[in-house]
Amino acid sequence: MAASSAAGCSTSSNANDDIPTYEYIDINTKPFHVATFENLWKQTLNPKYYSIRDVHQETDEEFAEDIGIPTGTVEELKVICNPDTLRCHPENQPPDTDVVPADPGLMTLRMRKRRQDYRETLIRAQTCRQDLYAAELENLAIGKKPVDPEDLLPEGEIILSVNVLFPVITERFKHFKARQNLQVLGSQKLTDLRDAICCLSDLQVCGEFSDTPDMAPEFISKDLFKSAFLFLEGIFYNDMRYPECKDLSQTVREWAESHDMPTFQTAKMEETTFRDLKLKVGYPYLYCHQGDCEHVVLITDIRLAHRDDCLDLKLYPLLTYKHRMISRRCAVCNLYISRWMTTNDSFAPTDPCLFCDICFRMLHYDPEGKKLGDFQAFPYVDPGAFN
Amino acid sequence: MDYFIEPVKSDCEDILSRFQRTESVRYEEFAAIWRKMDFPSIFYGKMAANEMRAFSRLILTTAYPYLLPPYNFQIRVGGLYLLYGLYYTQLVAPKEKITIALKDWENIMKFQQDAMNSRHYDVCYIFRKLISEKAFYFAAMPKHLYFHVKRKPKRQEVCEEFRDRPARVKELITTETLEEIMNVQEHYEKVKAAVSTTPGQPDPAVNLINKHLGPMVQSTVMEYQNWLDEVAVRKNESGDAAAAADPGEGTSTQGDSSRRAELLASIKSKSYGHLVEASKSRRHRQVELDTSGPEIKQESTRKTIPCLQTRTMKNLISKGKVKEEVMECTRHWRLSVTEQDKSLKRRVKKRFKY
Ligand SMILES: [Zn+2]
Ligand SMILES: [Zn+2]
Repeated sequence: MAASSAAGCSTSSNANDDIPTYEYIDINTKPFHVATFENLWKQTLNPKYYSIRDVHQETDEEFAEDIGIPTGTVEELKVICNPDTLRCHPENQPPDTDVVPADPGLMTLRMRKRRQDYRETLIRAQTCRQDLYAAELENLAIGKKPVDPEDLLPEGEIILSVNVLFPVITERFKHFKARQNLQVLGSQKLTDLRDAICCLSDLQVCGEFSDTPDMAPEFISKDLFKSAFLFLEGIFYNDMRYPECKDLSQTVREWAESHDMPTFQTAKMEETTFRDLKLKVGYPYLYCHQGDCEHVVLITDIRLAHRDDCLDLKLYPLLTYKHRMISRRCAVCNLYISRWMTTNDSFAPTDPCLFCDICFRMLHYDPEGKKLGDFQAFPYVDPGAFN
Repeated sequence: MDYFIEPVKSDCEDILSRFQRTESVRYEEFAAIWRKMDFPSIFYGKMAANEMRAFSRLILTTAYPYLLPPYNFQIRVGGLYLLYGLYYTQLVAPKEKITIALKDWENIMKFQQDAMNSRHYDVCYIFRKLISEKAFYFAAMPKHLYFHVKRKPKRQEVCEEFRDRPARVKELITTETLEEIMNVQEHYEKVKAAVSTTPGQPDPAVNLINKHLGPMVQSTVMEYQNWLDEVAVRKNESGDAAAAADPGEGTSTQGDSSRRAELLASIKSKSYGHLVEASKSRRHRQVELDTSGPEIKQESTRKTIPCLQTRTMKNLISKGKVKEEVMECTRHWRLSVTEQDKSLKRRVKKRFKY
């Protein structure tokens, strides 16, 4: 008796391990295997339900046959259940949907009205620029079909929504959470995501170049330091695509070992697809590159691709949201975005001071390119570089 | 956008409770209430394009749980109609989709089957229409998860009036409790026999408890359940003349009744003969006769748990691997930042503020 109930318990938990459930409600799920989850959906669903090519609308006859009722009844149902029954105004008099009706009964509308009225009292009606850009990005990709039919998303592909947060590198970043949202496909490699994460520290140039300003662009960190890892569910996925790549996780693993912590596994980022992963939706994971630039990475959603998604394979990983940074402009012209930062500079009003490339060169070098005066110059990468 | 959750929830519950009062599952009834409340206006008001989309997503996510247990069949039908209405009247193009979680799909299929068995064809039709319009996302979870840990976690509120018939009796008298009662009874009989003057025979003077307590409780519970079902059937029939003659109507609360059927079947299968084996499990129970239900467990979730960092640090310190002052020096995260640079950086900040 006791044995049978215990057995019942364990089989049910085994079979359903890959059906995502909450670990903490509304916060994150328990870990599950992505490919198994995907297959569970596909096993239960009629492929027509999620097909991205199928434009076939179910006819009354099909519905009638499926349910086993006469077609006449379906005709009737069609009239009774028509979406037109939801309309609350005469067909030829559409209401102005920008206006909240006077004296609304719905709580939601009362709240919206309160908020709108308040917004109008503000001197400067702010339309958040972040919102505008976000809307733009969304509209760009929705339902986009590829030019080449070869690039059409395969049927039954899954899409993962990824949220990448940015570390607080400058003082300004403290006040909001800069983030980037992306959609990746289940069949894509972890390296595809890595290459799509645009982080400033990849563009950073190290060194002082006041004597040779033309040399600077050749030393972008991304090309110099190619190692990176993603840390998910106890496994370090290292980017080992290039011979100069190092296992960045080694230090951490060795430290962990010397501190009686469970040993962590490693795998190759370029050999792992998202489908292969076991993960928790909503749970913070770590992406680390440039040695110590650390990003929190969340998988916020996994679902089957939909007809209205971007259907062009080539556009994935697809950027769906990007926080726009305010750029710092040149101290001289206040027009162009800064490219140089100088210190100990007698020409500059502040120390340090930012200049655009043109002003920097005009002010600090003679027409022959000879350095004037004594100062240090560092290439500056503006946070708005990826806007 | 989250500030809209509460009012949206209250509007959804408003329309569903009005629908509940009709005691019907007919779409026409729902549509009439919908129009009377001017529900599509919930999308009205000036909003930025992505704000509009976010709101559509929010309202669909908020309405989704009404399609699922623990709500009763009628509310779930209302929930489906509500999703249908919201889906078709939202103002963004292409329309925002209704996200279905894998864990809920089986439930939704069962619900649809119930509707079909009870010949609620409008329910089936609307569900099929949404499917064929590709109004659904088949996803891992009903919403995106961002690890938003709140300081005061809000309890998952279930609207009590919409709940499936309270099954307190059923919750109280489960197979386990019945078994327990029988075990205790058996034990009691043995003890009586042991202390009796005639060995092996309980003293006829000590006869305070009905010998057939177990079966008696069982039959009473079953009788009560049957009565509840009959009431439900009659209620449904009165609200729904079309399906009145249908014997399958009782299955409208299938989830509930099938669970009950399972319970009853398992009770039946456990005759006293089988229960002798269970004495093994009883032995350990003798020590802890505390039959506290599973309710108690939920209490523990309210305990506040320190954050991961604190826990890890505590763990390491307690192991003696890390000294306490280490916590101080691991603060800055860029290897390139030296103490000198740090002070410089602070100055930079002052000057750059414009
Ligand atoms: Zn970075
Ligand atoms: Zn300039």
